[in-house]
Amino acid sequence: MAHPARIEPSIMHELASQVSDSRSNLWSEIRKNGLSVLNSSSFPTKKIEEWRFINLKPVSRSEFVPIEDAGTLPAIDIEKYFLPESDRSRLVFINGSYHEKYSSIGGLGKGVTVGNLADYADDQHVKEYLNKLVNYENDVFSAYNSYMFEDGAFIHLAKEAKAEAPIQILNLYTDSSKAFIANPRILVVAEEDSDVTIIEDHIGLGDNRYMTIPVSEVKVKQRAHIHHVRIQRDSIDAFHFSRPIAYVEKNSEYHSYTITLGGKITRNEPRVIQEAEEVDFTLDGLVLIDGDQVADTHSVMDHRFSFAESHQLHKVVVNGNAHSIFNGKIFVRRDAQKIDSFQENRNLLLSRDGLVNTKPQLEIFADDVLCSHGATIGQLDPEEVFYLQSRGMTEEKAKEVLTYAFALETIENVKVESVHKLLIQEVYRYTKANSKPKVMA
Amino acid sequence: MLELKDLHAEVEGEGIEILKGVNLTVTKGEIHAIMGPNGSGKSTLAKVVAGHPEYEVTKGDILFNGESILELDPDERAHAGVFLAFQYPVEVPGVTNSTLLRESYNTIAASRGREEMDPLEFDDYIREKLELVEMNPDFLGRSVNAGFSGGEKKRNEIFQMAVLQPTLSLLDETDSGLDIDALKIVSEGINKLHGEDDAVVLITHYQRLLNYIIPDKVHVMIGGRIVKTGGKELAFELEERGYDWLESLATVNGEAK
Repeated sequence: MAHPARIEPSIMHELASQVSDSRSNLWSEIRKNGLSVLNSSSFPTKKIEEWRFINLKPVSRSEFVPIEDAGTLPAIDIEKYFLPESDRSRLVFINGSYHEKYSSIGGLGKGVTVGNLADYADDQHVKEYLNKLVNYENDVFSAYNSYMFEDGAFIHLAKEAKAEAPIQILNLYTDSSKAFIANPRILVVAEEDSDVTIIEDHIGLGDNRYMTIPVSEVKVKQRAHIHHVRIQRDSIDAFHFSRPIAYVEKNSEYHSYTITLGGKITRNEPRVIQEAEEVDFTLDGLVLIDGDQVADTHSVMDHRFSFAESHQLHKVVVNGNAHSIFNGKIFVRRDAQKIDSFQENRNLLLSRDGLVNTKPQLEIFADDVLCSHGATIGQLDPEEVFYLQSRGMTEEKAKEVLTYAFALETIENVKVESVHKLLIQEVYRYTKANSKPKVMA
Repeated sequence: MLELKDLHAEVEGEGIEILKGVNLTVTKGEIHAIMGPNGSGKSTLAKVVAGHPEYEVTKGDILFNGESILELDPDERAHAGVFLAFQYPVEVPGVTNSTLLRESYNTIAASRGREEMDPLEFDDYIREKLELVEMNPDFLGRSVNAGFSGGEKKRNEIFQMAVLQPTLSLLDETDSGLDIDALKIVSEGINKLHGEDDAVVLITHYQRLLNYIIPDKVHVMIGGRIVKTGGKELAFELEERGYDWLESLATVNGEAK
């Protein structure tokens, strides 16, 4: 299959002539759908409201080549990214392709199916849900993923199945001489009363430019519980456009925590859609950026039925010339009563040249709801810095401790111990490097 | 130990002078009380000695053990042995009391040439100190001051003082917000901690703390100056007569108080 050279409107047209045969009817159908969206949508620009704060020219002007022409280096020393808890529940993808030899499945107990999507093309759940849940209007990125992806993570939990260990979906991106595009894909179907924890990790092994477009579709059926941690540690020159979408049924719970550390430009669009009454979901985020990094979160929490509890704590630390964008949409439909929704976006600016755009967006059509929201942008409180200094800490150390404390709140609920530790280390590494405010030219 | 010489200070960048020539000498082994009405500059005095960056010293000097500490950062003053118990202790969610204390203790110990302690040794050491202020050991694992009641925060300040072993303790309205039982515990703690080699400066609005801690000297501060100094009996006099009779002392030379 030919690959497009650039992601531009003109290229989308070029794609139309390149549909190749696929190994299954399902894939060719998905590919057709992706292509039709690609052909009818244009690459976003600042003229579009949803994209007005983010400059995508570095993306549209990049030259991307097919992965086989990108001069990728082998992935070495990757064992250090394996979670000890997921010793027998790990899927490894390198530049979007599944690698069985690094993967390890089978330690999850009865009723849990885990594997490469490409090997489950005939699975009834794959047929029923794959590409049916993803729903991003006129979105070239998810369409491109649908057009291109071949491998992906498939997780199915039968009724009452409890995954005995957290499932690690490890996405590695290798160093390369030219820029390439990876299309990771995830489908999770959790049947009634099932329970699973998923750790989705994206790691850039070099400092090279690439683009990754992770798309994940999650179906949480009645009384099922999903704990979903997403860690973005891409290369410092990478572009990351993620589209994780979850549908929550009656009495189910979906808790997601997204930690954004790497990448040059990140656009994260998590969505949770309520499909019945009495659900509980979380869409937390932690963003730690520096230099010229741009991290943009556009989220949707769509309350369509009564009795929902939803939480969104989105915390951001900005240093250098970095730029954070947050747009959190909370919809409460007309018949969705007794909704208890909480949204808070807190931004900590460590430098003068950092930039934060925040836009909580509540659209409430029901009358008996409790929706609180808040957005703050601030610096470290000098009184707090003085307090710690008066206890003997240097100014630098005090700032480091306070930044660390600010960030820590969002990862407290991550319940896999090694991941919690890893995130604490990442927060510590960031605060250590950023306790001195930088004035960039 | 502490010598303030004609100390003038203002809020940085605002040009409003708050301390208007404070003279004070505290010798080791002593307890001093600084009393005065609201807005007299008592708390500012404590913060200036501790090195709060919000204030700028425009004139005069602060000598600690004979050397000027004006150029020292707050942490360097802490290393030298200065401790400020805050009137409004700051909440630091995400940092536990034991982490803060170990970090502080070891930094201060290192700068004073004392042995640092490893976490286990330190744990034994602080548990002992906890008893002094009758605090539950659970509290070591809690975030610094986060969700503490007013009284717990004040006790925590004295607990920190016990752990860090400063030579000069400035206690800024440590008695406010304490009920009578807590006041007793805190006062007894301070009395036990105080010895021949350190000094304590109590900043207080009320005389009641001085029922439990007997000061060697009592100073009255009005309008940014110390206008009267006496023994412990001065506190009783203030309790009876208020501050009005001293107001005239604050306007000598026709300057505003």
